[in-house]
Amino acid sequence: MPSTKKSVVSRSSAGKAVFDTLAREKRFRNPPADKTAFPALKEAVRPHVDSWNAVFREGGCLHQAIADIGERTVFDRLDGNAETGYGNKLTVRIANYYLGKSMLSSRDKTAMKREIYPAECRERHSSYRGQLQLELQYKVNNGDWQKEYRDCGLLPLMVMGNRCHLESMSPKSLVDHKEETEELGGYFIVSGNEKLVRMLIVNRRNYAMAVIRSSYAKRGPSYTNMGVQIRCVRPDQSCMTNVIHYLSDGNITFRFSWRKREYLVPVMMILKALVDTNDREIYEGIVGLDQREDTFLTDRVELLLRTYKAYSLYSRHETLAYLGDKFRIVMQVGPDVSDVEVGKLFLKRIVLVYLNDDADKQRQLLFMIKKLYSLVAGTCAADNVDAAQHHEVLLGGFLYGQILKEKFEEYLLNIRSQVRSDLMGGAKVEFNSPQYIRKMLGKVNERIGESLHYFLSTGNLSSPSGLDLQQTTGFTVVAEKLNFYRYISHFRMVHRGSFFAQLKTTTVRKLLPESWGFLCPVHTPDGSPCGLLNHLAHKCQIATTTSDTSHIGPLVLTLGVHSAKVLPVPTDAILSVQLDGRILGWCSPRDARRVAESLRFYKVSGTHNVPLDLEIGYVPTSNGGQYPGVYLFSQEARMIRPVKYLPLDKEDFVGPFEQPFLNIAVTDPEIKSGDSHVEFDPTNILSIVANMTPFSDFNQSPRNMYQCQMGKQTMGTPGTAIRHRTDNKMYRLQTGQSPVVRAPLYNTYGLDNFPNGMNAVVAVIAYTGYDMDDAMIINKSAHERGFGYGTVYKVEKYDLAEKSKSKTPVLAFGWGWAAIGADAVALAKYKALKDKYSDTLDDMDGLPMVGQKIVEGQPVAVYHNMGTGETFFFKYKGSEDAYIEEVRLLGNDVGDSICQAISVKFRITRSPVIGDKFSSRHGQKGVCSQKWPAVDMPFSESGMQPDVIINPHAFPSRMTIGMFVESMAGKAGALHGFAQDSTPFKFGEQHTAADYFGEQLKSAGYNYYGNEPMYSGITGQEFHADIYLGVVYYQRLRHMVNDKYQVRSTGPVDSRTRQPVKGRKRMGGLRIGEMERDSLLAHGTAFLVQDRLLNCSDYHQTWVCRGCGSFLSTTPTVAGERRAEVRCRRCATSATEFDIGKKGYWEDGLGNRFIGGENTTVVVIPYVLKYLDVELLAMGIQMKYDVSP
Amino acid sequence: MQREGYVPPTAGGGGGGTGTGSTRPGGYGGDVPRQTSMKYLCADCGKSVTLNKADPIRCKECGFRILYKERTKRMVQFEAR
Repeated sequence: MPSTKKSVVSRSSAGKAVFDTLAREKRFRNPPADKTAFPALKEAVRPHVDSWNAVFREGGCLHQAIADIGERTVFDRLDGNAETGYGNKLTVRIANYYLGKSMLSSRDKTAMKREIYPAECRERHSSYRGQLQLELQYKVNNGDWQKEYRDCGLLPLMVMGNRCHLESMSPKSLVDHKEETEELGGYFIVSGNEKLVRMLIVNRRNYAMAVIRSSYAKRGPSYTNMGVQIRCVRPDQSCMTNVIHYLSDGNITFRFSWRKREYLVPVMMILKALVDTNDREIYEGIVGLDQREDTFLTDRVELLLRTYKAYSLYSRHETLAYLGDKFRIVMQVGPDVSDVEVGKLFLKRIVLVYLNDDADKQRQLLFMIKKLYSLVAGTCAADNVDAAQHHEVLLGGFLYGQILKEKFEEYLLNIRSQVRSDLMGGAKVEFNSPQYIRKMLGKVNERIGESLHYFLSTGNLSSPSGLDLQQTTGFTVVAEKLNFYRYISHFRMVHRGSFFAQLKTTTVRKLLPESWGFLCPVHTPDGSPCGLLNHLAHKCQIATTTSDTSHIGPLVLTLGVHSAKVLPVPTDAILSVQLDGRILGWCSPRDARRVAESLRFYKVSGTHNVPLDLEIGYVPTSNGGQYPGVYLFSQEARMIRPVKYLPLDKEDFVGPFEQPFLNIAVTDPEIKSGDSHVEFDPTNILSIVANMTPFSDFNQSPRNMYQCQMGKQTMGTPGTAIRHRTDNKMYRLQTGQSPVVRAPLYNTYGLDNFPNGMNAVVAVIAYTGYDMDDAMIINKSAHERGFGYGTVYKVEKYDLAEKSKSKTPVLAFGWGWAAIGADAVALAKYKALKDKYSDTLDDMDGLPMVGQKIVEGQPVAVYHNMGTGETFFFKYKGSEDAYIEEVRLLGNDVGDSICQAISVKFRITRSPVIGDKFSSRHGQKGVCSQKWPAVDMPFSESGMQPDVIINPHAFPSRMTIGMFVESMAGKAGALHGFAQDSTPFKFGEQHTAADYFGEQLKSAGYNYYGNEPMYSGITGQEFHADIYLGVVYYQRLRHMVNDKYQVRSTGPVDSRTRQPVKGRKRMGGLRIGEMERDSLLAHGTAFLVQDRLLNCSDYHQTWVCRGCGSFLSTTPTVAGERRAEVRCRRCATSATEFDIGKKGYWEDGLGNRFIGGENTTVVVIPYVLKYLDVELLAMGIQMKYDVSP
Repeated sequence: MQREGYVPPTAGGGGGGTGTGSTRPGGYGGDVPRQTSMKYLCADCGKSVTLNKADPIRCKECGFRILYKERTKRMVQFEAR
């Protein structure tokens, strides 16, 4: 035992792992009126909120998108204006948009408060939306622009975004508006549900990636699997992917997709169209001075230039005209635009769209060709498209903006087609008449808000271009508030894309070292989404604005970079320096290193106007590695994270592109010479939820993954504003506690506001046998004191308007009336009905009584038809007894209608029962197998009884040592009365956790090793072994037997097969599958098999003809002189007059007479066999059954 | 069958709660139930709102569009186990 004597409380008083009970209590009573106490939580959802703000702020992405959309023209083809020959020209454009906050409609004239807050939308099951208005401008021919304001419906707003009422509210006023104190926002409210657009991993923007993909070879004959791909993103965040393909003969084609169709263009045509150039310039642009002797390259460039001669296009003008001619239809331009202009538009809309300057585009395209030839020659490796290095994150707000941009564009196109259809339909088209314009616009679909609402509620993208994404569904998820871990995880979740989920290869799911510090290595589900659904590390941020990089260009030129604009480039300047995909210049490998290092020094020191979040990717020259160069990135959607820059001892932000080439030490003692950075904390690589696993470095890694999953399925505390929420289903733990053992981050993220479990005294002992196989025994007294007591809230909306489908209310809540003039019997019946349901229903308004218990089948509400007085009921469908918690009467949007909808919250009590699932925080789940009476529980020398008993066998194979450490730490913490710091990576070989907590236990008078003698509760004898007894934080998981158990003896059957239906909800049965059947057969239990598979399933007796072996030809005879029998019609022959009365003579239902066919009998078959017979018959196949003993 | 609402002894009469006032034991006053008014709570300002059958759902004070039903005044008794 180490003799180092230390104070037992040293760590907890120095660290932040404190209970802070008083401060917490004060904060609860008086929420801060200035700012949140937990800024880290705000930080966690910032990517969502900031991306929304970046789109909708003044001059934000949407304004840029509007400018990018430009104008659309349409001609009336009338001969009024002969100038162009196409008639009058109407030009339309969107000049501006206005998006209001969520307000009451102007139809409501009485309400004092006009704002609609998110809480009201949740309670009324409506959507949180603001009015969207477009300023449409149009002009006729070359006249002046005319303005027209068009309402485009209500657009869903992001909570806490810059159009939200709550945006800058203090916790106190948030509480006043029925929100949590820590309302984070970042989601939309759609029909009362909180929906968020989940983050998607996409390829890094504006970086030419060398790709080897077998599907590239399928593009056409002579295509190879090599190409260079660049995902170009415009400042408005809409994107366009360009690919250049290598053909086996050495040629290169340029590929893009436009409105979901793919097009191929010779790359040389684009090079020639971009700038006025000649073959020599192109040659020199691809072949550097040092590569003149490289015949592999020169041969191919020569071929590239030679094959292009076939087009006989020599000047830029000719090339543009050629392109314009070919793409005129595709680009949907007006007939008055010249081919050259179309060609220019083609270059603007399609080729490297993030660059404005054509010369820049040409340089980048030449660079891409260089890189492609290098890939082909093998002098550079293909970039790994699955690595975080080449990824960025598509944020919800930006996706929303992109969709909106497309809807705006579609709107302009719709105006054009409306005019055209007016012309075709023979309507009077007068561009100069405002009446016509207004009437025409009235016919155009302007419901842009609704289409975004559809997007959010379904997650389906309906877009003509596909937005350059690989999926069309699954963009949105409901932010379930099951507990806070789950809730916050939704906002930190990044998905690789549902396209990859179908991929058979697992390479995309691999955990790659490049994602260190950006994506949590632990926090991913196991099973089908494993590795595709990742979570951001808790310190990882996502850039949502472009930094100011105007000074970078001149700055690098002063650092020895040769400008790209000045030709020729010196021989040794072989590395390109690029800023966001724009080639700034060329420099030698030696200079490149210096450029990168100086830039980094400048950016961390804050000098030379280099922004701190600039990513300086210096890829050094290597032997067949990644294509070298200096790549600077400053734009949106990049993952960035803070690390300490050693030369200045200051915070630096690094991105995933540069990280593989930086030497970042993990801890201070590990710093070696040459290291430029050190992590602030090794736990920065973990997500918020993964950080909450205590001593996770002691556990086997899959157990930490399981805990990340189970933490999110825990019945915890979803929030404090439960009264104002109407989630369909909500779980709540009544007796949540603050864990004794916790990381300081627990306090940083304010998780004490959302307790997720209970501290339990846990004994690791095999006792009674009820703890075998991962079962656990709960002390009955602990249970009675409220251990794990939980509640489920269910909300049901009862809508009358939905039922009647009429615009004016037909139905109303409340009792109908007996018919006027009804007799005494009818009146008595009516009165009896009212009395029968008086238990739950309020007599006067027909709504349920708050606080009442309700059981299955009882009415929740009564309503009647106001015309007929007929009375109907809404009945409670749940199988469990519930209590009416809240009843809301919901008005309509304007507040002028009688009650047409109510929302009822049911409370279902869920006291822990045998079969409910619990888990510690170490992936150690178990099922409660018995509630053991306290008198029979084992007890320690001090008289302590465990709350929970688990079996020692749970440990050896799972190796969750962290749980042992937590048990000791919890015990010591409880004894000394302080919170224990459980941050991983704090202990080492020299300073062991067992010793640290052992000393604490020792000083409290307990055994150093954490175990102690215990006595059997039944016999009172001491156990032969000391028992490991400590305090572990236990979670109650939401999987409860009450939701799972399923029994049936008889019940509903499928009408076609007469086999029992499946599904718990439908009272179905459990299937005995093939494997179950096999095992029963192997056991020789044939009768059991018959009982399960036949007698208890689709047992059926049927007639069959022994002669022809058919079920289907048997038919009952009509009872005449003899009793009715069943005969085979197929074996029978038609009877003649002479046969009447003979033996074997019979008549069928139609009066047809037969003779013979009496060789029939009854057999037992499974009913499906008959169905199979009929199905086969329909295909012309006859089944013949050999019926013999 | 006792149907009247449970009124706490302190409630000082006069439209004190949901169940009081209009329902008398055994009295259904003819074929059509009498037009009765109900009291609800405004979800925004918390004031009590009296609604008649044909009234739109909104608070008379602030115009808010959600009303809560008050907890029943009837005695609610459960077995505690």
